[in-house]
Amino acid sequence: MNLDILTIITLVPIFTGLILIILPQLLPKETADNLKLITRNISMGVALAIFAISTMIFIGTIGSVDWTDILHGEYVLKNEQFSLISSIGVQWKVGADALSFPMIWLTSLLIPISMLVEWDAKKGHIFHPLILIMEGALLGVFVSLDLFIFYVFWELTLIPMFLLILLWGGEDRKYAAMKFFIYTFTASVFMLIGILVMYFHTTPIPGIGSMTGHHFDLVQMSLQDNLIPNEGLRHFVWILLLIGFATKMPSVPVHTWLPDAHVQAPTAGSMLLAGVMLKMGAYGFLRIAVTIFPESTIIFMPLLVFLGMASLVYGAWVCMGQTNLKRMVAYSSVSHMGLIFLGIATMQPLGIAGALFMMFAHGVISPLLFAVAGAFKHHYHTLEIGSMRGIAHHSPYLSGHMMLGWMASLGLPLMAGFVAEVAILIAFWMSFGWLVMLPALTLIITATYYLTSMQRTIFESDDPHQGILPASLNGDEPRDVTWNENTGMFILGIFTIIFGIFPFIFWDMMSVWSTGFMSDIMISAMENTDAWSPSIDWILEVFK
Amino acid sequence: MNSLSDISLELLLPEAMMIVGILAMIIIPNLGDAKIRIPLTNTSVPVFFGGTRFAQVNNPFIPSVVAMITFTASFFMSLIMLEAETNGNIGEVMEINQFTNLFSLIFTSALLITSIATFYRMPPHKNPEIPKNTDSESSTGTKIKILMNNRRQVDFYILLMMVGLGMCLMSKSTHLFLLFVCLELASLSSYVLVGFYKESDIGGEAGTKYFIVGSVASAVGIYGMSLLYLWNGNLQIDSLTSSWATMESLDPFAGIGIGLMLVAFGFKVGAAPFHLATPDAYSGASSPIAGLLATASKAMGFVAIMKILLIITSSEEGIETYWMVAIALMSVITMTWGNFAALSSENPKRMLAYSSVAHAGYMLAAIAAIGSGLGDIDSNILIVTAVIFHLTILILFKFGAFLVLTILENEGLSHNMDGLKGLAKRDPVIAVSMFIFMLSLAGIPPLSGFLSKLLMINGIVNVSAGTGSLSSATILTWITSVNIIFWLALSIVINSAVSLFYYLRIGLIMFFEEPVIEEPPAKSIYLRIIIIICATFTILLGIGPLSEYLLEIANEAAQSLL
Repeated sequence: MNLDILTIITLVPIFTGLILIILPQLLPKETADNLKLITRNISMGVALAIFAISTMIFIGTIGSVDWTDILHGEYVLKNEQFSLISSIGVQWKVGADALSFPMIWLTSLLIPISMLVEWDAKKGHIFHPLILIMEGALLGVFVSLDLFIFYVFWELTLIPMFLLILLWGGEDRKYAAMKFFIYTFTASVFMLIGILVMYFHTTPIPGIGSMTGHHFDLVQMSLQDNLIPNEGLRHFVWILLLIGFATKMPSVPVHTWLPDAHVQAPTAGSMLLAGVMLKMGAYGFLRIAVTIFPESTIIFMPLLVFLGMASLVYGAWVCMGQTNLKRMVAYSSVSHMGLIFLGIATMQPLGIAGALFMMFAHGVISPLLFAVAGAFKHHYHTLEIGSMRGIAHHSPYLSGHMMLGWMASLGLPLMAGFVAEVAILIAFWMSFGWLVMLPALTLIITATYYLTSMQRTIFESDDPHQGILPASLNGDEPRDVTWNENTGMFILGIFTIIFGIFPFIFWDMMSVWSTGFMSDIMISAMENTDAWSPSIDWILEVFK
Repeated sequence: MNSLSDISLELLLPEAMMIVGILAMIIIPNLGDAKIRIPLTNTSVPVFFGGTRFAQVNNPFIPSVVAMITFTASFFMSLIMLEAETNGNIGEVMEINQFTNLFSLIFTSALLITSIATFYRMPPHKNPEIPKNTDSESSTGTKIKILMNNRRQVDFYILLMMVGLGMCLMSKSTHLFLLFVCLELASLSSYVLVGFYKESDIGGEAGTKYFIVGSVASAVGIYGMSLLYLWNGNLQIDSLTSSWATMESLDPFAGIGIGLMLVAFGFKVGAAPFHLATPDAYSGASSPIAGLLATASKAMGFVAIMKILLIITSSEEGIETYWMVAIALMSVITMTWGNFAALSSENPKRMLAYSSVAHAGYMLAAIAAIGSGLGDIDSNILIVTAVIFHLTILILFKFGAFLVLTILENEGLSHNMDGLKGLAKRDPVIAVSMFIFMLSLAGIPPLSGFLSKLLMINGIVNVSAGTGSLSSATILTWITSVNIIFWLALSIVINSAVSLFYYLRIGLIMFFEEPVIEEPPAKSIYLRIIIIICATFTILLGIGPLSEYLLEIANEAAQSLL
């Protein structure tokens, strides 16, 4: 195929967004004002077109890819390699596989929805193009197969998000934006050192890296046996990578930027932050750290279990004490991201596929939660859980969406989150036995905080026809959600249910990928490693 | 002995241009209607030199135009020489190669930007009086005459061209004595340029302080040079190199001499603990001059440091040089001190000065990695390439930031953050450019500042990461066995994270504070064009074919240096 579709969907939004921001500065005032009026329509059009393209890629109309048939280590829709800075070996190289494609599709789904939810944002002629730039950067992270470009996109996502929080955030937005930027940037420069050490252990490929003799090609790196021969250095690099990815995810103890950023961010910003940006951490961890250094992953498995458990339990525990709706949802994200680490630590196809599905399901559900929280802020001017009671009477639609979202997030069967949780817990039980009690019991805490907050806001009221309205409304009658918020939430809710009832839509390709991943990489690594773990012998037995 | 005719002038074209420029600058403004009467006759012959000056040559534009033409000419000469890969020797004291061609280009472009930035911006006196309607005719005439006087501009641009001449010749010299004389030519002129900003109360003070500290540093350097002379009897760099290589153990004269020279050059680049005058000088000087100090003057210091450390005192592969630990320590102190001092600066010029100190620390760290003797010649070339690349692109974003302050300077607000407040509302284009410069200084991809920082960390990791003991099976044994150079890479990374705070703060102030003055800043069309050019190239040189081109040139330069 000549038309390189992944490059197009990555670069088109970035350039469209930039042009839409810059052009009104250059045009005469009258034309510029006219252009500003239709900026959001153009942005939405581009976002929808990209959603259409990625859906068409998924069903095979474009590229005719059979997604359940991709082996591990195989990338589809690859482009012709194109050298960007040939002297140090930087190439433009994109491709997708079952690990990255669900994320690509999810990104292209969430962008139009988050635009729709904030359709009437102030200064919309900058807001919507910024989200479009964000889309390009996020897609760039998922499609690039060159570590330099990966890192460039990884950092590029920070700039639009930083501006989104700063320009449209809440009261404390400056503090939150600075904390967000500095925290994640610091973590990722540690990751950069790790990447550079890997870079210097690559063997030359003819034609690239004329000055240094090395390259940033991720595929070649994972093909090279024993990329870093020195075992101590290898573990050190793995830890550096973990710092970068765990901060993005975020895992306890480096999670503290997330609640602040979420509470202050505008609704669309929160949706993208929770929906896709957190998944970048898990994606990078699987794509780079686990794939290239499987031995280190096995040796540090107890650390992963500890981090995952800590995030899961601590996140859920902290949620119980939250009075701010958005902060509670933010901590619940920390808790759910802990499950991803647990899924990876099980070292089983089922667990890894569960982690992948968790990334996807959480990416559909958490934007719904943040859209609900954003609508509360919008119509009730407060996020304090205790300050409103019985709002089901005033805002039936909002209450309905809230119930759906909350139920999906606490893992109700027939919703997307349930599939992932069950898969991870089964795999965890197979690997670690009765240790599964801890994550399983944490789900009770999850149910507790969701149900409490729901009961206190939606129902509980002495007078069934007149709830308690927050003081911030100043006695006005609250409105229900607007049409655009309603539509966005409906779409997310529908997808939550669809992927709960028919998880195989994405589950099949994920489980094929994880099985291949285990048999290609992890099993041989396990045989070579004499790390202590009760489960490894068992896993090896199953595979033989 | 060489006679003058042996010198092939085409190798020194940029410098020749500047000398022509200096002469023109002396002659043109002095043209007048003076006449000489031929003795014993009544005929007077006009000699055009002296007397009452012509109105045209007294125009305040003339010096700037002459300077701009001169620097443009020498800029293009350097570019042509770079493209043609000119090289050759002049006697035994100068050598022209790609390295010197690239640095001529760096110096002349910085000076060109300075001369454009100061165009039309310098009043003839500290506080010139402007004629009013109520003035009598004769006093109006006097005031206009004073206003239309260009004496001050002439002085300024002559000094500027002296700086350029000194810098360009300095990078070419292969004899320490000539190197020092040229360095002093540039330095002394730059001290005066710092003090030239009489509109500010602290200009004179800053100039004096810079001069005193600078001359002490130079005196120490000359003392070091005399010790080297005592040791070797010759200050030719080649001869010093071969003596150093054959030295069995460190000779005290040689060691102390080199150490004292490093003090002088350390002052030029603003390395701790010799950086203390730097923030005062930058904040006292006018912004274009501060930009010149932060880019060209720093590049000059690094040329000297590279000649001393990488040529004279470098050792064979695999052997650690004597100075490695000292430079490594110095680099860590410099970058940490610079960044932490910048965190608490309320004056944007001081902040940029400290950030420039921090950047000197990063480059010194890269040089220390070469001194470790761990890398082979290829990896050393890579590190020098990174340093040269960084010095080249500093002209874009460091100077760019100072140019933005230049625009604000006329409002009298460039000395504290108030001037930047709400800049985005007053002038979005300038504010966005400033934000790009800040992000590039912080090293955010895909801007060019990221590429240069990446290349430097790259070089350090390249030589050091393989040093941990091969048998180390755990992280702890590896950490204890790795060469200390590796930790320089981590300290650069941590420092970058700290620096992010003050660079982003500028962005916050520009975009989210209410402006002190509502009106947009002065139009200054030339400045605006250069700022936009700088911002564009900051982005273009980050990734893609242009950065590839510059990297290749820097690589050639590094090869011809080592």
